[in-house]
Amino acid sequence: MSDSTPVISCKNVWKLFGPNPKQYLADMAPGRSFDEIRADGYIAGVKDVSVEVGRGEMLVIMGLSGSGKSTLVRCFSRLHDITGGTIEVDGQDIGELDENGLIEMRRNKMGMVFQSFGLLPHRTVLDNVAFPLEMRGQDRHDRRERALEVIKLVGLEGREEYFPRELSGGQQQRVGIARSLAIEPDIWFLDEPFSALDPLIRREMQDEFLRLQEMLGKTIVFITHDFDEALRLADRIAIMKDGAVEQCDTPDQIVLNPQTPYVEKFTEEIEKSRVVHARVLANPVNGTAPEGEPVRAGHTILQLARQLVNDAREELPVANKKGELIGVMNRQEALDVLLGKDT
Amino acid sequence: MADIATKIDTDTPGLPPMRIVQLMVGLALVLTLARPVLPDFLVRLPESWIPPLADWLDYFFNVIVIETLRINELTRWFAEGPLDFMLGFTANLLEGKHRWPFVGPLPWSCVAAVAAVIGYYLGGWRFALLGGGTFVWTAMVGQWKIAMQTLSVLAVAAPLAFFIGLLMGIAAWKWNWFDRAVKPFLAILQTIPFFTYLLPAVIFFKVGPTAGAIATTIYAIPPMVLMTALGLKKVSPEIVEAGKMSGSTRWQMLTKVYIPSARTEILVGVNQVIMLCLAMVVLTAFIGMPGLGGKLLAMMNSFKLGRSFEIGVTIVLVAVMLDRFSKAWVVKLPEHHERGTSWFVRHKYLVAAVVGFVAFLLIAQFVEILDKVGRRQSLSMGKEMDALIKGFLAIDAVQAITGWMRYFLNVWVLIPFRNALLYIPTPAFILLVVSFAYWLGGKRPAIFAATFFTIVAFSGWWDRSVITLYSVISAVILSMFIGIPLGIFASRSEKWSTRILLLCDTAQTFPSFIYLLPAIMLFGVSDVTVVLSIVIFTTVPLTRYTIEGLRNVPGEMTEAADMSGATKRQKLLSVQLPLALPTMAVGFNQAIMFAFFMVIIAAFIGTQDLGQELQRTLAGTDLGKNFVLGMNVALMALTFDLTIMNWAQKRKKALGLS
Amino acid sequence: MKTTILMTASALALATATVSYAADSSDPIVIPIHNWSSQIVMSNVVGQILEQNGNNVEFVTTDSQAVYESIRLGDVTLELEVWEGAFGASFRAALEKGGIVDVGDHDAVTREDWWYPMWTKDACPGLPDWKALNDCASVFATAETGDKGRYLDGPVDWLKHGKERVEALGMDFVVINAGSAAALWAEIGAAEADKKPVVVFNWTPNFAEAVWPGEFVEFPAWEDGCDKDPAVGPNPDALYDCGNPATGYLKKAAWEGMEEKWPSAYGILEKISFTNPQIAEMAKLVDVDEMEPDEAAEVWLEENPDVWKGWLSSGS
Repeated sequence: MSDSTPVISCKNVWKLFGPNPKQYLADMAPGRSFDEIRADGYIAGVKDVSVEVGRGEMLVIMGLSGSGKSTLVRCFSRLHDITGGTIEVDGQDIGELDENGLIEMRRNKMGMVFQSFGLLPHRTVLDNVAFPLEMRGQDRHDRRERALEVIKLVGLEGREEYFPRELSGGQQQRVGIARSLAIEPDIWFLDEPFSALDPLIRREMQDEFLRLQEMLGKTIVFITHDFDEALRLADRIAIMKDGAVEQCDTPDQIVLNPQTPYVEKFTEEIEKSRVVHARVLANPVNGTAPEGEPVRAGHTILQLARQLVNDAREELPVANKKGELIGVMNRQEALDVLLGKDT
Repeated sequence: MADIATKIDTDTPGLPPMRIVQLMVGLALVLTLARPVLPDFLVRLPESWIPPLADWLDYFFNVIVIETLRINELTRWFAEGPLDFMLGFTANLLEGKHRWPFVGPLPWSCVAAVAAVIGYYLGGWRFALLGGGTFVWTAMVGQWKIAMQTLSVLAVAAPLAFFIGLLMGIAAWKWNWFDRAVKPFLAILQTIPFFTYLLPAVIFFKVGPTAGAIATTIYAIPPMVLMTALGLKKVSPEIVEAGKMSGSTRWQMLTKVYIPSARTEILVGVNQVIMLCLAMVVLTAFIGMPGLGGKLLAMMNSFKLGRSFEIGVTIVLVAVMLDRFSKAWVVKLPEHHERGTSWFVRHKYLVAAVVGFVAFLLIAQFVEILDKVGRRQSLSMGKEMDALIKGFLAIDAVQAITGWMRYFLNVWVLIPFRNALLYIPTPAFILLVVSFAYWLGGKRPAIFAATFFTIVAFSGWWDRSVITLYSVISAVILSMFIGIPLGIFASRSEKWSTRILLLCDTAQTFPSFIYLLPAIMLFGVSDVTVVLSIVIFTTVPLTRYTIEGLRNVPGEMTEAADMSGATKRQKLLSVQLPLALPTMAVGFNQAIMFAFFMVIIAAFIGTQDLGQELQRTLAGTDLGKNFVLGMNVALMALTFDLTIMNWAQKRKKALGLS
Repeated sequence: MKTTILMTASALALATATVSYAADSSDPIVIPIHNWSSQIVMSNVVGQILEQNGNNVEFVTTDSQAVYESIRLGDVTLELEVWEGAFGASFRAALEKGGIVDVGDHDAVTREDWWYPMWTKDACPGLPDWKALNDCASVFATAETGDKGRYLDGPVDWLKHGKERVEALGMDFVVINAGSAAALWAEIGAAEADKKPVVVFNWTPNFAEAVWPGEFVEFPAWEDGCDKDPAVGPNPDALYDCGNPATGYLKKAAWEGMEEKWPSAYGILEKISFTNPQIAEMAKLVDVDEMEPDEAAEVWLEENPDVWKGWLSSGS
């Protein structure tokens, strides 16, 4: 398996809730809408979704409550059995796993963090973190060692013997994170991990999360209803509505080229300049490269604002980290992103 | 309340519900008024119509269960083998019965010391005092041996009820069909009079502690099943998913995720198991359970009021202690120790308990009073109390008041009411019950009411059933006049709430048998005594739920009333009481259930109802009759239960309180 | 205390020369205990006698009616007080079903009938004659009974036929059934304070005699057939028109397997016989002297060796 094969690949996945979903899906005329399906007595939790998640990539699934984002992620780990389509994890169709196979997969490959933490109230921090290790039968000493290691990683040293109720929300979620990392999973699911926290803590936890991700480089599926959070963290964003993915793209593209009215409505209030990077606006060098100092491809337009306003050139060269020229950016186009188009 | 009930049912097609109720009541009235000209079969079912249910049941038990299937051999084996062994084990440790392991009895001071340590662990000094004090009292009044006889059976019955209830609860949670199958069974078990399973317990499990343990176990199982299933259902889905994502197998899910997470509800179940076990202490004495209950009955039969009162106090103390301890255990959450704390400090309570136990065990070898308190050394005040009670009853004012009450209630209220109920023709009576169920609960309860009461009519015990119902209704109405005002008064302040609730707890755990004698002495063997002794019991839930309902009215609502300038009276009548009503209805329902329970015990005063017949069957082997009688009580109780609980639920939903 | 019993037991066992009672099974003999004092003490007395005989004894509390079914099944080994009036019916029913045997009578006789405490005589001086009682019926009236007298009968299931007798003899009394023995005592106890006249159902031997001195009402004397043949008794058209037999039996009963399993103990049981004063004495130790039953039994055994030693030594 090469790095280019996706870690999670799902094709035409359906998840219907109702009395006899499999039969209904088989008989259903194609192209039925969410509301029509509901009128038939079924709820389309996930509606014909196909996405892939690459190795080391962070896919953020964004949507309002009831949009099916949590359902989709639960299909990835087969907490829900899907009604139609296939989901492959590392090339293995998880729908075909028997109970033991499924347990093995969860024990070795996956970790998950929950919105309300899902901590076991009768266990100490240490025992909560060691829980997945205990489930797979690791011996007491080993799991203690490993649990202490992860607890340290999330910055909860000294609280090992506390019970969940003795901790603040942020600390509890750190326990949740530590638990999900204890088995060193390849794939990390996070279901609105910071939604239950107050804004200041949320920000702090996001930073902490980015730091961890930089260190660990996991494949991540991250769920949120907070568009800012999605933009801040994501490699790619999948926006869901009524069980279907409206658009799945990089943050820059979503902001610059919303493909449905629904997505557009989300992006309206967003300060685009904070999201769009110079590299996205860079067009291939057509003819000669413009003169002068290049702008950095990895900077956002907002970071370049001063320069954009002061610079008199029509076209600005864009260079990557190593200083290689990757293209030119039209100043007017960039200013439009920064200030909004004149209408 | 009328419009409340009708509004809810407006979606029923056809006639408006209120009209249906009016029609049914009207028809019942016509039938009643026309009684003199009615054909006989409309007044009471003719004997020839009544199927010989009891004979069929007898055949079922004697020929099918016992002779053909030989179930009794299996149960007998269980009773004489494992059960007798377990009972022998606890009985040896606690009271020194001559059984394996031949080490007991433990000195009373050891038990008291351990109870004090457990009390301290659960709730500090006050609980330590309660735990130690209960056992010191028991030893000091000279009841140690009989108390230990009781506890040695409970120590087997309660865990048995716990495990069976837990397993059944898990099954009910796991399999829907099991849940559906077991629910009606539990409902019947909770309403059927205890006398009904005393007799089978004797036949299948041998008279004595074994039958006592089994009857107690059966009685205590239902809440454990319900609480376990409830707790498991309530485990948060995220915890479940976290468990699954950790790669738990099914077994690991159950033992390491579900059951520990349902701890609170399971422990509440344990609390209820213990309380129900204690409620059976006296009743099981009828089938040979030794201990406090048996002694109490013997004392009552030789008219020793003081001594039986002392036994009652012991039962209350043990009950309050176990109740408080187990409730404290529910809310007791583990505390963490800093890392590196030594083993002894981590387990300081265990160490203290062991040290206390061993210390008193050693001391008791030399100081005999710490081992056993002999009859001559005990501080029983039986005789003095007898004199006190008799002295009180001899006061002229007391006699004047009770004499007047007896006359007024008997001659002007109770006996006319009873005669009126008995005058109503059977079909009219059923119609009235059904219209009540329909008006209050809706269609479903009405159908149940019709079915259940028709069965009662065909059981051949109609008049006795009506008399039973008459006692229940009279008592519940009377206790409403006491319980609700008392609850309203108490709910006004925290202090009084606590006091009255404590009183409720005590009244509820005090063995009802003990009330009977003073009640008879006050009012003689008459209907007043029967009704009043039920009232003592039924007032408790009415008071308790009135307090609870009023105190749980959301704060904003009373504040809104205050800001609207409501007087205290207006606030109570138009805000608090309407909102508390669904909760009070639960209390009302419980009062009816308690009344059905107590009316059977009241047979010991002297009645002409089902209880009296049930008491008679105890002496014989009429399993069939016993079951028919018990079924009648259960069916009547279930009718009310279904109706009122249905109403309370709908009402709660309508008020957005659920 | 248990140890002292065992010590005396073994001492006595040695003294009375342990001949060959070896045939007795070592399984415990189960003696039922009911809820009245004389029976409890008597059971303890017999239990201790059997212990001295080398038997293992266990007590079990049971209902006094249901016990016959338990004896039939062998759950309970014997019964020491089978009252003719109260338990005759249950006992006979069990005899018919089989499994239980009659082990003979005590010397004591039993009587059950209408009874009044002594103070009642002040209000109705003609007592104990039943006609005099009927003449002052209004003295016994209460709120519910109007101007008729109130007679508190035993529980319905004791089948005392109080109502039938009132009708047969044309008495101005209303019969009310108490629900239990305790209810009877409570009524007498309540009446005691004001020395209110009452007439209730009662029996002898009974602890109540020691607490409240009293007498039985003298009805037309019992004749055989009074309960079956209307012609018998003063009223030619009615049953139950006479008093209960004044000398009812008090029997011992046992499980039919007892003789084979514990032959020596069975031999003792056959010999056991108590008299009315002895039974009253046993009851008094508990009811008046406030002893525990096992203690009372010890005291009684100590004080009356001539009564029971004979049963034991010739037990083989």
